[in-house]
This record gives sequence, C-alpha cells and structure tokens, in this order.
Amino acid sequence: MTASTVAPSPEPVAGRIPGNKGIWAGILSEMTEFALLFGVYFIARAHYPEVFRAGPAHLSTLAGTLNTVMMISGSYFVAKAVHAIRQNRRQACLRWLFLVLLAASGYMLIKAMEFQWNVSQGITGGKNLFFTVYYYLTFTHMVHVLWGVMGLMWVMMRARSGAYTPADHDGLEAFASYWHATDLAWLVIFPLLYVLH
Amino acid sequence: MSHEKLLDRLWLLLVALTLGGAWIGESAEPGLAVTIIIALTMAFKGRMVVDHFMELKTANRTLRNLMRGFFYVLPAVTVLTTLFGDWLARLTTL
Repeated sequence: MTASTVAPSPEPVAGRIPGNKGIWAGILSEMTEFALLFGVYFIARAHYPEVFRAGPAHLSTLAGTLNTVMMISGSYFVAKAVHAIRQNRRQACLRWLFLVLLAASGYMLIKAMEFQWNVSQGITGGKNLFFTVYYYLTFTHMVHVLWGVMGLMWVMMRARSGAYTPADHDGLEAFASYWHATDLAWLVIFPLLYVLH
Repeated sequence: MSHEKLLDRLWLLLVALTLGGAWIGESAEPGLAVTIIIALTMAFKGRMVVDHFMELKTANRTLRNLMRGFFYVLPAVTVLTTLFGDWLARLTTL
C-alpha cells in the first residue's frame, strides 16, 4: 500500500482492553497512588481551610493553565497518532508522536520555570501544608510524565521502524492509555491546586 | 460525526474549558457555587478523556467503570469537603 492510499480505519472491538493488561495494571496503580495523594489533599484542606483557600493565589495560574493545555494537547496528539496508524499512515503517526514530545517538553520547561519562580518568591515545601501537598502532587505527576517520555521515545522508535500496523499496534495503544492516565491525574491537580480558592 | 472530527472538537472544548477555569480561579468570588462549577468541569473533562481519547466508552466494562468512577468520586469529594470540612477534620483527628 502506498502512503497516499488510506486503508479504512478498523473499528476497535467492543469490550476490548486498549493496549494490553500489563499497562492497565500500571495505570490502575498510578490512579490509586494519585487517589491516595488526593485523599491527603482533602484531609489537609479540611484541617487547614484558610491555608488552602489562600494557597492558589501565591501560585502562578499562568503556569498551571499552560501546563494543562500541554497535557490536554499531548493527550489529543497521541489519540490522533493512534487514529493515524489505524489508517496505515505511518508518517502521520510519527508526526503526531513528535507533537506529543513537544507538548511533554513544554510541560517540563514550564514546570522547571514555575518551581524556580516559586523558590524566588520564597514558596518552598516547608512554607505551609498547602505547599507541601502542592510539591508532593506536582512532583509526583512530573515523575509520571518522565516515565511517559521514556515510553514515548520507545514507541517513536518502533513506529519509525514500521513495527505498528493497522492490525497490530497494541504497544502504541498501551503508551497512549498511560499518557491519557497521566493527563487525567493533571485534570484533577489543576483545579484543586490552582483554581479552587 | 467521524472519530477524527470528534477528537478535534473535544480538544478545542477542553482547552476552552481550561481557560475558562483559569478565569474563574482568577476572578470569581470563592463560594459553594464556584466550587460546584469547578467540580462539574473537572468531572466533564475527565469523562471526555476517559470515553473518547482513551476510547473506554466501548471498551472493557470494568476498566471503563473504574476510570469513570475516578471522575464521579473526586469532584463529589471536592464539593463535600467544602460543605462538611469540619466533620471530615473531626473524623481524621488522631
């Protein structure tokens, strides 16, 4: 098949497990870890409501918002990459994956600048309980993004070598599922830490 | 609507909701109504990613329910902590 010929996108089978069972064990562990950290957030907020109401005003809403756009866009780009490989458009798939890498790099850069800005404002983990929870949640999330970037490098190499086909792209789907899960965790972190006063 | 078009529109909607959320955080007076709006936005965004980006809408039921459940429970707890924070604080005092 030539690059210009687009194969029909096979419909995913109803009831299937996207990717593979192994990645879902990892994703559910990740979600459990974040659920526990969010539990800590809610309990700490209940004990120190004033500290948690005042906390977000000291953070950079711009950094939090830009990082949310980076995470949502990364999730969208990876969904498009999966869609492209189902249509046997390997180059398009690679281009979308490259955009995921750009979004992840943007997230890392913004996060590094945000942490640096925080420290220059005297915002450290020991300042009060809000910032302890803030650093714990955002740093844990950043580590999960880092794991994702390693996975992204792997699937980019595999996609480049032609390992994925419309009929067999479980590895790409597994990475996509993990990346979406990391996006989901951020979709809770952003409103709780940056928006909710 | 094709799957590809749905993804495009959802991306724009999610980005718009994010900008709207940031605007609320910066300008709205804190209160229960704002907390409910924030929680509902969190629930909606999560559900859209789970159903359409992650494609769990038609996938394995257990995975779908677990991932959707995350975005029922956490927005609900967000509102409940605002309403019953004192009770939660008493419950978790050693």
